[in-house]
Amino acid sequence: MNFSFSDDQILLKNSVRAALDEQCKPAHVRSMSEDPIGYSDQLWGEMAKLGWLGLPFPEEQGGAGLGLVELALVIEEMGRAAYPGPFFATVVLGGLGLMLGGSAAQKDKWLSAIAAGKARATAALLEEHLDWDPAATAATAAKSGAGWTLSGLKRFVPWAHAADVVLVPARSPEGLSLFLVDPKSAGVTLKPMIGIDLANRWSEMRLDKVAVGAEAILGRPGTAGPLLDSLLRRAAVMSSAEMLGAARRCLDMSVEYVKVRDQFGQPIGSFQAIRHRCAEMLLEAENAHAAVYYASWALTAGAEDAAVASSICKAYVSDAARKVCGDAIQVHGGIGFTWEYDLHLYMKRAKGLEPLYGDTEYHRELIVRHVAAAK
Amino acid sequence: MDLNYTPEDIAFRKQVRTWLEQNLPKQEIRTLEDRRAWHRKLYDAGYLGMGWPKEYGGGGARPMQQAIVADEMAQANAPAPTNSLGLGIVGPTIVVHGTDAQKRRYLKKILSAEELWCQLYSEPNAGSDLAALRTSAVDQGDHFLVNGQKIWTSGGSIADWGLLLARTDPKVSKHKGITCFLMNMRQPGVDVRPLKQITGSSEFSEVFMTNARVEKGDQIGKLGEGWGIAQTTLGYERGGRALARVTTYSSQFHRLTEAAKRLRRHGKPLFEDPVVRQKLGRIWSEVEVERYQALRTLTLLERGEHPGAGGSLTKLSYSEFEKRFMELALEILGPYGQLTEGAPEDFKLQIDTAVGDHGSWAYAYLWSRAGTIYAGSSEIQKNVIGERILGLPKETRADRVGGKA
Ligand SMILES: Cc1cc2nc3c(=O)[nH]c(=O)nc-3n(C[C@H](O)[C@H](O)[C@H](O)COP(=O)(O)OP(=O)(O)OC[C@H]3O[C@@H](n4cnc5c(N)ncnc54)[C@H](O)[C@@H]3O)c2cc1C
Repeated sequence: MNFSFSDDQILLKNSVRAALDEQCKPAHVRSMSEDPIGYSDQLWGEMAKLGWLGLPFPEEQGGAGLGLVELALVIEEMGRAAYPGPFFATVVLGGLGLMLGGSAAQKDKWLSAIAAGKARATAALLEEHLDWDPAATAATAAKSGAGWTLSGLKRFVPWAHAADVVLVPARSPEGLSLFLVDPKSAGVTLKPMIGIDLANRWSEMRLDKVAVGAEAILGRPGTAGPLLDSLLRRAAVMSSAEMLGAARRCLDMSVEYVKVRDQFGQPIGSFQAIRHRCAEMLLEAENAHAAVYYASWALTAGAEDAAVASSICKAYVSDAARKVCGDAIQVHGGIGFTWEYDLHLYMKRAKGLEPLYGDTEYHRELIVRHVAAAK
Repeated sequence: MDLNYTPEDIAFRKQVRTWLEQNLPKQEIRTLEDRRAWHRKLYDAGYLGMGWPKEYGGGGARPMQQAIVADEMAQANAPAPTNSLGLGIVGPTIVVHGTDAQKRRYLKKILSAEELWCQLYSEPNAGSDLAALRTSAVDQGDHFLVNGQKIWTSGGSIADWGLLLARTDPKVSKHKGITCFLMNMRQPGVDVRPLKQITGSSEFSEVFMTNARVEKGDQIGKLGEGWGIAQTTLGYERGGRALARVTTYSSQFHRLTEAAKRLRRHGKPLFEDPVVRQKLGRIWSEVEVERYQALRTLTLLERGEHPGAGGSLTKLSYSEFEKRFMELALEILGPYGQLTEGAPEDFKLQIDTAVGDHGSWAYAYLWSRAGTIYAGSSEIQKNVIGERILGLPKETRADRVGGKA
């Protein structure tokens, strides 16, 4: 047993941090927030070159064949930088989805293109009522010749406007199925949804009798339920890693600030109210770290408790990140409430991710179901 | 103890409600001028400055009547009047500490929104430690010359006048050398630079004063007694607003429960989920307890007493509550909650923001973070409560070494 990172993992983490420190400064986040597309192609190319885009994919598809612990390390750093761009959508939602359920041909086509930086992907996991349970899917897939026509309304599709392919769950006559859809196809309309984190983009995606071919289905018709479950679990843990990174940035900024901000003739960090708050922030961040890396390892290793660990991770880290980021604003006082100060970039990243991929209540219910079944 | 409203109060409430039904702006308020016009209409109806002395344009009304008006306005989702700092802080300060000439000169124009006001207290290095302020006002015989910088000035960019704290004597202990002034913002020596807030809007500003002029007649209270005046202004915990605040919470709460009926988790409406119900139940009890407390405060005010340091309890209570409430709202609304654009109708919140435009749940969430910082942060309120209400020993602080205040 060893809960520490290997030398290679530390090297990876450090190199990601160095690259993002250099290329994803707050000014970059801010300028991308106002950009119609919202991310930099140049940085995307860089990420392909550095091997981040193919990190968890098999080597035969141009990937590095690494696990979720390594992916979490990268994503944590992205949260720390409030990275604006479709990395998560492409590698986690699209990439891991294809890895879990794609045929050899689909993987060859898409994973190598993603790893090479040539394609971007995403998944449309949420509908109108915001139920994360894949069983709640209402979009439909009607048989049409050898293929299908898809109809339905999806909400909060991350970076759909930048994607070359979207994984779309829909109900076919056989049951819940998963399709690959080109968002530029006839019948697809995208409408932006703008949240507090301006550096993270979503769309409402309407599918009106969108025709897809026989090759567009992932796995067999009617079998998408378990696949979507696994994908959701991975997305939950990886988004937790991102929230953790954002929360740590808020914590670091706070600790630095309370050491230098003087009021009443002394640094505010010397007041017990502030000191205790910072100590609690650290405690939450450390616990969140343990939850993220335990779950990342468990999913990669196929541990018996992987499923429940992923729910524990998302529920715990959501709460922790909310507290840490909120407290960071409080200890900063007025400056923490301004647009020019960078704190809110990270606070908003965490807040925006908190309700995604199953919110705290959703995962707590799964945890309790697990506990009840284990008895 | 009798918690029923009197027949007069009930009749008054009816009258206010009817007036609002007939007079609420039909169109959305867009410009500052629209807002001023609405403000004037409220004033002409006798619904602003209700408690101020009649001879200066006030209404001489009882606190309960003021509370009823504010409450009915919240119930009707009426737009706020424009001169909030003038009405809430500056006016009451002038009423209590101003000279007769100052009362005649300023009060009526605050009430009619002819002159808008801001509060020039905080500085880059004097926030919680307000008495550390460094802006100086130097006596030039017939006027004062003001130099320095203020920050986080709400409404600074639209204000005609500012209530200023400045140091008039750097040689005495820090609380003793401060004086309170009324300063014209529309003069060459005053430079206002709007700051953008975390919400994306610009409600506050930085204010730079370079040889700005303050007339001798615009000094409030005695020289060197500004600190005490600031303490009382900060203490104008608008008890009369407390009821209205609660009404706003309750309409937001009902909006939230409607949304919870439309959202689903594990295939069932969220509203049927026992966990969600428990949380909603808890928040609703908190809203109601805030209401009971508002009635208690009103009782004090009706008896002519001042809540004093008790205002710190009120402020601590509602500002911390508001954060919990908004966190729950965003939790229940899921990703819809933090949308500023693109939210479906059922899941939107339409509120009047501090700058007057329509705000989302996301805006309300972010705004709730400010309440525990401005007008004395929660930490400061707790210190005040500990020291002044509970009589606990004072914290050892560098600025108190040597027995200074
Ligand atoms: C939205 C908004 C509007 C505002 N509008 C106005 C306005 O119109 N006019 C105006 O003059 N000012 C205004 N302010 C300023 C406000 O009053 C100050 O921000 C506030 O007093 C805190 O000061 P600070 O920002 O300098 O924080 P700091 O004083 O630096 O405080 C930072 C942190 O340290 C804590 N702290 C400080 N001292 C202690 C202590 N002794 N013990 C424990 N903890 C401590 C604080 O609680 C806070 O968490 C506004 C602020 C905001 C956010």
